[in-house]
Amino acid sequence: MTDLISIPLVAFPLIASMILLAFVSNGNARMRARLVGPVRMACLVFSLLMLVLTTGMFFRYFGDVTWMDIGFNEYEFEHKYTWVESLGINWAVGLDALSFPMVWLTTFLLPVTIIATWNEKHGATYFPLLLMMGGALIGVFVSLDLFMFYVFWELTLIPMFFLILKWGGKDRKYASQKFFIYTFTASVVMLLGLITLYFLQDPYSLASSGTMTGRSFSIPELIDNARANNIGDNWYLGAQMQKILFVMLMIGFLVKLPAVPFHTWLPDAHVQAPTGGSMLLAGVMLKMGAYGMFRLPISLFPHALYHFQLALMIIGMVSLVWGAIVCLGQTNLKKMVAYSSVSHMGVILIGIATMQPMGWAAALFMMFAHGIISPMLFAVCGAFKHHYHSMEIGAMRDMAKHSPWLATSMMFAWMASLGLPLLAGFVAEIMMLIALWKMISVDGWSIWWMVGPALVLALTAAYYLWSMQRTIFEGGEDTQPPASMKGHAIPDISNSEKFAMLILALFTIIFGVLPWIALDMMDDWTIQAFEGLIIPLLKGGA
Amino acid sequence: MSTVQNVEPFGDGFIAALCPELIIFAGLLALIIIPNIGKGTFRIPGTQTRVMWLFGGERFKITSNPKMPAWIATITLGAAFVQTVLSFQDGVDRTAIVTESGTQLLLVNGFSRVFEMIFFGALTLAAFASMNRLEVKGIGPKLSTDDLYNNRRQADFYILMLTCGLGMSVVALAQDLFVLFIGLELASFSTYVLVAFYKESKVGTEAGMKYFIVGSVASGVGLYGLSMLYLWAGSLQFDVLAAQFVINGTDPLPLIGIGFVLVGFGFKVSAAPFHFAAPDAYAGASSPVAGILATASKAMGIIGLIRMLLIVASPEASEDGAVWLTLLGIISIVTMTWGNIAALGSTNPKRMLAYSSVAHAGYMLAAITAIGAWNWDDSLAGEPGEAAVAVLTAVIFHLVVLVAFKLGAFLVLSVLESDGDASRLSSLGGLAKREPFLAVAMFIFMISLAGVPPLAGFVSKLLVIMGIVKVAIGQMGAEIMAGGDYGLADVHWVWWLALAMVINSAISMFYYLRVGVVMFFEEPEEGRTGPLPSGWQVRFAILACLMATLFMGVASDQLLEICEVAAKSLNYSWN
Repeated sequence: MTDLISIPLVAFPLIASMILLAFVSNGNARMRARLVGPVRMACLVFSLLMLVLTTGMFFRYFGDVTWMDIGFNEYEFEHKYTWVESLGINWAVGLDALSFPMVWLTTFLLPVTIIATWNEKHGATYFPLLLMMGGALIGVFVSLDLFMFYVFWELTLIPMFFLILKWGGKDRKYASQKFFIYTFTASVVMLLGLITLYFLQDPYSLASSGTMTGRSFSIPELIDNARANNIGDNWYLGAQMQKILFVMLMIGFLVKLPAVPFHTWLPDAHVQAPTGGSMLLAGVMLKMGAYGMFRLPISLFPHALYHFQLALMIIGMVSLVWGAIVCLGQTNLKKMVAYSSVSHMGVILIGIATMQPMGWAAALFMMFAHGIISPMLFAVCGAFKHHYHSMEIGAMRDMAKHSPWLATSMMFAWMASLGLPLLAGFVAEIMMLIALWKMISVDGWSIWWMVGPALVLALTAAYYLWSMQRTIFEGGEDTQPPASMKGHAIPDISNSEKFAMLILALFTIIFGVLPWIALDMMDDWTIQAFEGLIIPLLKGGA
Repeated sequence: MSTVQNVEPFGDGFIAALCPELIIFAGLLALIIIPNIGKGTFRIPGTQTRVMWLFGGERFKITSNPKMPAWIATITLGAAFVQTVLSFQDGVDRTAIVTESGTQLLLVNGFSRVFEMIFFGALTLAAFASMNRLEVKGIGPKLSTDDLYNNRRQADFYILMLTCGLGMSVVALAQDLFVLFIGLELASFSTYVLVAFYKESKVGTEAGMKYFIVGSVASGVGLYGLSMLYLWAGSLQFDVLAAQFVINGTDPLPLIGIGFVLVGFGFKVSAAPFHFAAPDAYAGASSPVAGILATASKAMGIIGLIRMLLIVASPEASEDGAVWLTLLGIISIVTMTWGNIAALGSTNPKRMLAYSSVAHAGYMLAAITAIGAWNWDDSLAGEPGEAAVAVLTAVIFHLVVLVAFKLGAFLVLSVLESDGDASRLSSLGGLAKREPFLAVAMFIFMISLAGVPPLAGFVSKLLVIMGIVKVAIGQMGAEIMAGGDYGLADVHWVWWLALAMVINSAISMFYYLRVGVVMFFEEPEEGRTGPLPSGWQVRFAILACLMATLFMGVASDQLLEICEVAAKSLNYSWN
């Protein structure tokens, strides 16, 4: 089978964007302005081709792949090329039901982001950066080699750094550097963890061990090795080391997610980032954290996961509740949406910490649903900023009258995010609640763990409805257009923005009404993972 | 595969063994003689007959061309570089020992070859890029005295470059502490003058003076230590010293002597607390020279440290690790942290690069510390020296690729310096608009220094961390698989050096990123909006550095093999 991942989904967007950037930055300002159209069209076509490819993969057009029946730690479209033989580094790619939804999401969001921010300034360099971002993000999700995973993990920072720095708001320098340094610090700790894990292997015990070091970077081999040793009371790498490595890896992922108290980079980055940057940041980049947790620490160290279950639950609860409380106090629309992301990422952590198959599936589906809903939230914020030159919640009143399209989109996005039934977000939240109940009733946890989610259900509705009330409805006949408009007529959103909103809304409904399209494979992965990881621990040394 | 050959001076195989040095020597002679070739005549005493002897007098047009010395030096250094690279071609570790009446003087093997490669590579690039730095006022009789003086400086500058290269390669080859010291001083004196050579700058001479004084004190202390070692062992041969050290290495005399010698090398690698002169010297020197100090000169100091710490006071001499282990570990942490924190606060890009160089010295020292601990785990007997080789490979790899991105960064600053000034961060303002190529190159050099994948700087840092972790963990992996339960308390403490390294990398991100922000998003300084001074040589050198930085990041296999050959040839008992 030909390699459908390495070149079309990873190398091609990266190289194409670099060629476009080199080509564009060669000319002067006038030439760059003339190039915006062709470059934008090229980026759109490239990203649409990638979307066609991944969608075709889903519908089994490119090979007989049953996404439902992939076993735990088995991969489709798997390919492996030697990179640095002496260290055991390979270029290894593959997809399973954990990574495929994320890859599809990335390819789906790329064209939507390009369309939604069709008229972004300095477009000739902006759109190639989005494309580069997409390539790097897909690289993270398809990597089956720790080294490659880390390389792409860091590579995503560079285009995002420039997106925030060049197209951002007033404090963009501060925000972009804070973003870079926060996540970089966390990921170097993760890197040290990965290297320690690397050298803790038994030399030359794995198939793709390096000729010089005798250790392997291969993720599937490591997981297999871990599974063979995580049986009953036997801890892979020993109890102490497993706990230490779990913590070191989790630091990298929790900061990326982000979870309270490591979340402070996110509101700054989001508020300053341009709309397109925010859409990809919230839509896919945050999920890198959750994806990484499932792929590495959870798959490798289930014992430590049990050990730190309470800690994760507390961090998740605090993120959930704290994010929602802070949202209530925000006057900046985009900051509110950013904190709501923190709150929703708390749902993912809680889902993981329930240690129920339902909870893990909820986390997986939350990753996916939030990946469709949050770009819409940020697209609305972007349109708001673009047309009213302000992000303050009270700046625009009676929007329903002045710009009905934006008002409708905002209402839809806000409702989707607060978990209205029949929309995608609801599915994930209700699954998380069921898993939590199950944890309380079956595993005997205290009923008080229900208080946080219950409170947040109300809080989320409160901050969303309150901000809608102040923006869309209040004002009446005598409202004045916001001062920031300086007397200009109030426009509605542009056609490209309308189109992007419609697409996002459509998929929110599709995955809300027919969640099984994505949920089935996630369910399947979760069950396989439980059979592969958790059951051997509980059954003991059989 | 290896071949060993004993060579007498000027005997069989002498030319083959010391080919790069002889090339440099020939270039040096050419550089001294060629500018003096002219229509000079010589009157035979007592007669009126004049004999043309082509020396002195009115120079020919070609010999008096002020650009001639630069090309001679570049070609000479380039030829020497190619020669060293070719010696790795077939993977045979050719060892040649140059002896004089039974005393080993020089040792040519993979280890010394790879360092020669570093020196000649850095010097070639710097010499080539310097062609745009020293002012040349054409040729002809109508030149003013100043212009003639400027033209004359050309030859001086490149002669110093060549002597610097010669001295450094002697350090790489030396098997005798005294020979090593001679090479060290030859290179040091050349660099003192090279630093002061930047007379256009107000601080150039002062920096040269400061560097000279501090450097001489460090050398003096080193020489004193040398004499103590001679008193103790009766010889300055490395193998004799090492043998003596195994017998009575715990005596105070050799320990103090080695400590004093290390002061001299510590100054060269700018390790804390001997790093105080480095920022001044780097900031005062012209940028290509500063680049040499940060790459080649530092590699020279590392050779000294490796020879003294790993060969003489070797970790194999005692069962519980090297005697200097704790001390060097502390110095390495202090060095890297001090360098990074000082770099955070500096607004002069050259000083910032100097402090970043101090930080990198700290990383190197951490790696050497780890080598010192390689035999802590008794069960390591199964794979002798493999961990030590891994760390040393990483150190050498780091020094090689450092030439690409550190020197490259200095060369970008060099272009700005010829535009007027590069002593403020704002001098870099708007570089992306003035010349996008330079801005992109500088940004890539910066993030490579910070260690962002997939650049060469990342691979080198990764290898160093991997080496340290490998030593720290030892054979624990196999024991854990056999059911053992170990925690961080059971791992050797050098593991914490790796943690210090990654945290320091994160700190360093602040100041490296700031350069990118200034270049891409700040306006140029007043009156500096026009295009930068032309000069294809320096841009070509920057392009070469850029390609190397990118290439060594994604395709490092071949270079790694060379470094491994080099690392293995340092100490054959590791194989």
